[in-house]
Formats: sequence, structure tokens, C-alpha cells
Amino acid sequence: MGVIGGVTTRLIWYSQRFTGALLLAVMGAGLIFFAMHAAPGDPALAALGESATPEAIAAFRRHWHLDDPVPLQFLWWLASAFRGRFGESLTIASGTPVAALIAARLPNTIFIGLYALLLAVLTSIAAGTIAALRRGRNADVIATSTAIFGISMPDFWLSYMLIYAFALGAGWFPAYGFVQPQVSLAAAIHSGTLPALAIAAPMAASFTRILRACLIEELQKDHVRVARSFGYGKLFVFVHFVFRNALIPYITVIGLQIRYIFGGTVIIERIFGVPGIGSLMVDAGFARDFPVVQACALAFLLCVLVVNLTVDAICTALNPRRTGR
Amino acid sequence: MPAQSPTISRRKVLHWTAAAATLPLAVRPSLAGESLLRAGITGFSVINTLDPAKASLLSEYYVIWAAFNSLLKFDSNMQITGDLAETFRVIDSTTLEFKLRSGVKFHDGSKLTSDDVKFSLERLADEAIASPNRAKVAAIADIRILDPDRLQIITRAPFAPLLTYLTNTRTGTQIVPYKTLKTAGDEAFGKKPIGTGAYVVKQWNSNESVELAAFPEYFQPGTDRIERVLMPLIPEESSGTTALLGGQIDLTSTAPFADVPGLRQKPTLRVYTTSGLNTRYIALNNRKPPFDDVHFRRALSMAFDRNVLVKAVVFGEGTVSPGLLPPALQPRADLPLPEAMTFNPERARGELAKSRYQSGTEATVLIWGSNWWRRIGELFVAQTNQVLGTKLSLQVGDPNAVFARLRAGDFQAAVWGWLGLVDPDEYLGEMLGKGAFRNYQGYENPSFEELLAQGRAELDTARRRQIYHEAEQVMLADMPLIPCFCSNVHNLATSRLSGFEQLPYSNYGDQFANLKLT
Repeated sequence: MGVIGGVTTRLIWYSQRFTGALLLAVMGAGLIFFAMHAAPGDPALAALGESATPEAIAAFRRHWHLDDPVPLQFLWWLASAFRGRFGESLTIASGTPVAALIAARLPNTIFIGLYALLLAVLTSIAAGTIAALRRGRNADVIATSTAIFGISMPDFWLSYMLIYAFALGAGWFPAYGFVQPQVSLAAAIHSGTLPALAIAAPMAASFTRILRACLIEELQKDHVRVARSFGYGKLFVFVHFVFRNALIPYITVIGLQIRYIFGGTVIIERIFGVPGIGSLMVDAGFARDFPVVQACALAFLLCVLVVNLTVDAICTALNPRRTGR
Repeated sequence: MPAQSPTISRRKVLHWTAAAATLPLAVRPSLAGESLLRAGITGFSVINTLDPAKASLLSEYYVIWAAFNSLLKFDSNMQITGDLAETFRVIDSTTLEFKLRSGVKFHDGSKLTSDDVKFSLERLADEAIASPNRAKVAAIADIRILDPDRLQIITRAPFAPLLTYLTNTRTGTQIVPYKTLKTAGDEAFGKKPIGTGAYVVKQWNSNESVELAAFPEYFQPGTDRIERVLMPLIPEESSGTTALLGGQIDLTSTAPFADVPGLRQKPTLRVYTTSGLNTRYIALNNRKPPFDDVHFRRALSMAFDRNVLVKAVVFGEGTVSPGLLPPALQPRADLPLPEAMTFNPERARGELAKSRYQSGTEATVLIWGSNWWRRIGELFVAQTNQVLGTKLSLQVGDPNAVFARLRAGDFQAAVWGWLGLVDPDEYLGEMLGKGAFRNYQGYENPSFEELLAQGRAELDTARRRQIYHEAEQVMLADMPLIPCFCSNVHNLATSRLSGFEQLPYSNYGDQFANLKLT
């Protein structure tokens, strides 16, 4: 009975989170839709050029239903989106299904993002642990100072430094261009290393600082001292009583930072020539390609919501009391 | 003697790993041993269409120039010569006759005929197509087909710019195949165009790249043509430079002004520079205060130093032209800067004193685009406010929003400019002519219109330039917009590349057939 009750409670908790996320997605999509349509500019001008006649502009707007009331346009879009149809590009890839554009770009963004996340997590676990265990010593000072340096560096500056050092200088990596993972995984890893490093550096710095702080806090707790006094080994105590408890805030911070991977990497994509979803959205925004912007924003939103749900689920697994049991 | 064991250093391993991983990048497009040119389209992220009749962006023309031909083209001395036309002659002041080259084929194998030429030009004039270049062929009254290889173009009145407008530049008059286009439809043709050019469009990935393949039946003789061309869209010019330095591309369509002096010192690069056919100016809305007052406009024009703009904005990579026309279109190279465009604080304040608007007058200047574009507005506003005591301010917008406001007349002043225009009428006629589509200023002056009409009717180049020069003096007296400078055109190439002939209208794809990569 207790087990069934526990499972039910968890199911209710997950379904509440899922419903909340879905509502947020619809509200977010609505906000983006209305904001895009309220902004000055006209997709007809971007598509038809500088000397388009008023008749041609009117025909373009009629064809794409741009003269319909905006709430009605949103409802049409929402109804199509629920059926998996996101319309066609108005300007930047005129007539191309938006879903195809997103499908071509999203894997690149996700690949670079996961690559950067992996680099950031591995670096921060190593640096954060060493810094916490060697608190106040040289290793700690080096790790902490490097972290502050990492957080302070603007990403575009770091990108160019990486290009000058490892592409133009050592010649180890390409200065520009990205091979998609579906073409060649080895080439994707190679050409994606510098952009992933540029994204990973500030994240690794921030993860290191939070992990170090959490580990130090956990190391000073009574139950750790009690475990040590019972004769448990240092490594056993660290893994089971310190590291595991420190993971909850650490993972929460990772979840928050993942938003940066999806939304904040436009400049990195531009500098390294990664055909990702961020630069697609910016180009579409400048060309007033409403359906593309809308779909990119929704993809970002869904990715962030999925990440948040995943982070919640991991933290709940680490600490089941979060479900309210 | 002991056998010598090979030594493998860590550096070597890293190099081999890197080389192995880049294999798909480097080899993928030339698996069959084909020669490959990687020509970056720098500074652009978008290509909307590859249909010449609908194209408006320079990035679109970079590709179109490789895939299409027009009746005429510019040679290396910027003289008009035959392209698809083997010969052409002026029959009378309103009639031009063209004889087409024989044996010219489109990429689909069909033969070029006079029907294709007639169709291409009439399609451009068709209101339903909504071509940005429609006005260029509006003067054509009739296209008479004499036989499959000969035709006449008859204009309503003498129209001198027509020869320029029939060249393979930013004109939209590139020749398309009549039957193929009718079958494929406009939209499909814009994505998969068929021309007579040296290169066939094989693939176009929206927002990413265009891939071209050499057309084996191209009518111009040539050997060892580069077989494939990959044209990646590289939005940041600086990224184009690093891609070239890193060996990921061989040629760029532009270069960041700030980097040009340094890049000239690199032995592995070639920097091509020429004074460009372009103009940068401050558009003034003559229908709105305070720019409805000619004295106020003149005062502003004399209250800032254009040479400062050239130095600070484009790092010396430009020229202060004595008017709106770039130096290459002026009647003489040694023309002095007119008084109305010379920095003279005293005369500027004198003009302001005659104006209805005095110091303290407020107005907004719209700025947009990349840093150097915005810098034009920043320096203009800072200098004029300092000299005249006005309170001009800046408002930043994105290009689409600023463009929409200009077209709607919803602005006071804006930094603006045009690139790659080759005829004086495209500058004075299209930007300042009564009701012209680029005349956002709302300028009109009967004397100016009279001179424009004379310029359009004059077929002698020297006399024509003199007429446009006179029109420019009328314009400068009214100062409906404030000309600033024209910038140099740059291309960067690896030193392994030869054969690129740079022309001032920012040519690009038309050169691919002449290039050699060692």
C-alpha cells in the first residue's frame, strides 16, 4: 500500500510538472507571437525587396494571412503546431517548411551544447573536488582564480583567443566551419571542439565554484564527522555522504546554465560558423520571418522545459522528500 | 647496425588525429579528385532567391553572376561589351539591335534564342513579378524578334541607361530560359535556377551555403576551370577573415575595413582593393521639420568633416566624393569638393542663422546595422551638435525596421547607402528623382528633373556625365540628402589563387570561371 501510494504521489507530482510545463510552453509561444507582430518592420519588405509595389506587398500579406487579426493568426498557428506543422518560411528560406529548417539546425545546437556541457561538467567535477579537498592550498587558489577568470571572460573574446591559439597558431582545429555529426562524428567532434570550449569555459567556471562551495559545506556537516569517526574510509564518506548531497545544488545550477547553451550561443555560432538554431532565429528575426522565429522560440522553450523537468527528476531521485512524501 | 625505430612525438599524433578528423571537411566536396574553390559570401546570412528578376540582395547576385549571363557585361576597363550578345549596335536614338552568340546553351541543354531574351526582359517588367529592378526596363516599348539570333529593343524615348541596365550586374536583366521557367514555375525556378553561366547551381542550403558545379557546355572557351565552387554564407566579416587565414576558405566577397591594413602585410594573402561604386549618405525627410528647411540642411552638410568619417569609420578605406556620385562616375577625377560639402563651421553657422530652425533644434537620426554603419551616425551627430548647437539624437533600429520606416516616410533622418550601382541615373535618378523608388527624401525640383531627362536621352558618355554633374550641383544647392563618402571594395584571397579581376561594382561569381588555384 505504501509503495503504491508512493508511486501514485510521484505520478501526480510528475503530471503536475508536465502540465505546468505545457501551459508555460503555450503561454510563452503566445507572448513571442504577439511580441513579434507588435515589433516594427514587415516581412513583405524583406521578401519582396526595395521597390516592391503596394499591390505586391498586399498580395504577399494576403497570401500569408498577415492581415488577419493577430489573435486569430495565433490560434491558427497553435492549431497547426499541435498537429506538428509549423508553417513555411516567409523570407529567409522562402517556402521551405519550418520544421525542415529546425530539423536541420537543432541537432547541431544540441551536439555542440552537449559537447560543451560534457567538457564543463568533467572539468568542474575535477577542479571543484580538488579545490574543496585542498581548501586554502595552491590547488584551491589556482582552481578558484581560474574560475573567476573563466566567468569574467566575454565569450566572443575567448572565441577569438581560441582561434588564434589553436586554429591559426597550432593548426590543430579549423578556424571556421562545422561538420555535422550525421556526416562524420569524428569530424563533428574535431570541428566542434573550439566552439564547445568557448561555451564550456564560463559554464565550467561557474560549476566549479558552486561545487566547491557545496562540497566544503557538506564536508563540515556533523554526519560526515560521525561517519569518519565510525571508521568509514575517506573515499567512501566523500562519495556517499558529501558528493551525493552536494550534487543537488550542483545539478540545479547545471539546469539553469543549459538555457545559455540554447539561447546565448548565437555569437559563438556566428564566429565559428556553426549552423545552429540560435543564428537561424536571429536571421529570421531580422528578416521578420515570423513562423521561423516562432518555431525556434518554441524549440528553445521546449528544450529548457525538458531540461528543467529532467533536473527536477534527478534531484527528486537524489532526494525523494522533494515530492512531498 | 641496429634498426632505426621511427619516433612518434605527441605533436605528430595530435596533427595526424586532427588531419584524420578534418578529412570529411577537406575531401568531401572533391572525392573524385575535382578541383574545388571555397568562396565565402561574407557579411551576409541570407539568400532569399536565385531568380534574377526577384533578387535584391548583393549576396544573391554573387551567385547569380556565376550562373547567368546578360546581353552585355562590363570588361576589365568598365567598358560595356557583349556577353550573350555577339554584337550590338545603336540603330537610332530609341532602337538597339543585338545579335546573339550562336550555340549558347542553358544548363538544361536547351538552346538560347531571341525568345528567351524577350521573355526575360518582359518578365522583369511584369508588375505581377514585383521585381525590384522593374523600373530599369520600364522605358522599353517593344522587343522585336528578327530571327532566333537577332532582336531589337525599342524604347519609348531615348534612354541612355538601358545599355548599362542590360549588363550582368545588379540589374535583374540576366537571361532565363523561357520554356523551362514556364514549366517549373517562378517559385521553383528561384530555388533551382537555370542559366547560361559558367556554373550550375547544384545545391542551395538556406542560410548555409550554395554549391556550384562547372557547366561543361559553357560558351566561353577555357581550360582547367575549377570544377566545383562552395559558397558558404559567413555573416561576420571577421569570421570570413579567420576562415581564410585558417585555410577553410580561399576567397571572400568582402573584408572588415579595420583589418585591411594589417592583412596587406600577410604574405599568404592577396588583398584586392578598388574604389567602389557605392554611396553612403544621411537621408533627410524633406517633408518633415526641421529638414523641410534648405538652410538647415545646408548648415548640417557644412558642420561635419567627411574626412574624419573616412578615417574613423572605414579606417581610410574610402573616398570623399564631390557629390552623391562615386568618383568613378564623376566627369573628371580632379573635381574639388564643393563648398556645400566642405567642413566650414563659420559658413555652417551662417546658414543656420538663415534657417527657421536654430541651435537647440531637436531631431532623430536613425542608425542600424554593423558597428561601422552606426559610427557614421554617431560622428555626424556629435560633430554637427558641437558646431551648430543642435540637439540631434540617435535611434538604433534593425535594418528591416529602419527600411520600413524610410519607405513609409516615418523618419526625420537616417544613415543609409547603396552598393553596386553602376549608372549615374541609379544614384541621382533613383535616389532623388520625383517619385523614384529610392527617393525616401521626398525631393523634387523641376530643374533637376529636366537635367535627369537630358541625361537619360544623351547617348554620348562624356556629355552624359557632364549633364549628371550639373544635376548634382542643383541637388547640392538643395541638399535633400547629405552625401558622406564612398567606400573601397575589398576581396581577400589566399596567395594560391590567381585570375581574380576585381571591378568596382563588387563583382564576384562572374570571376569564378577565370580563377586558378594552385
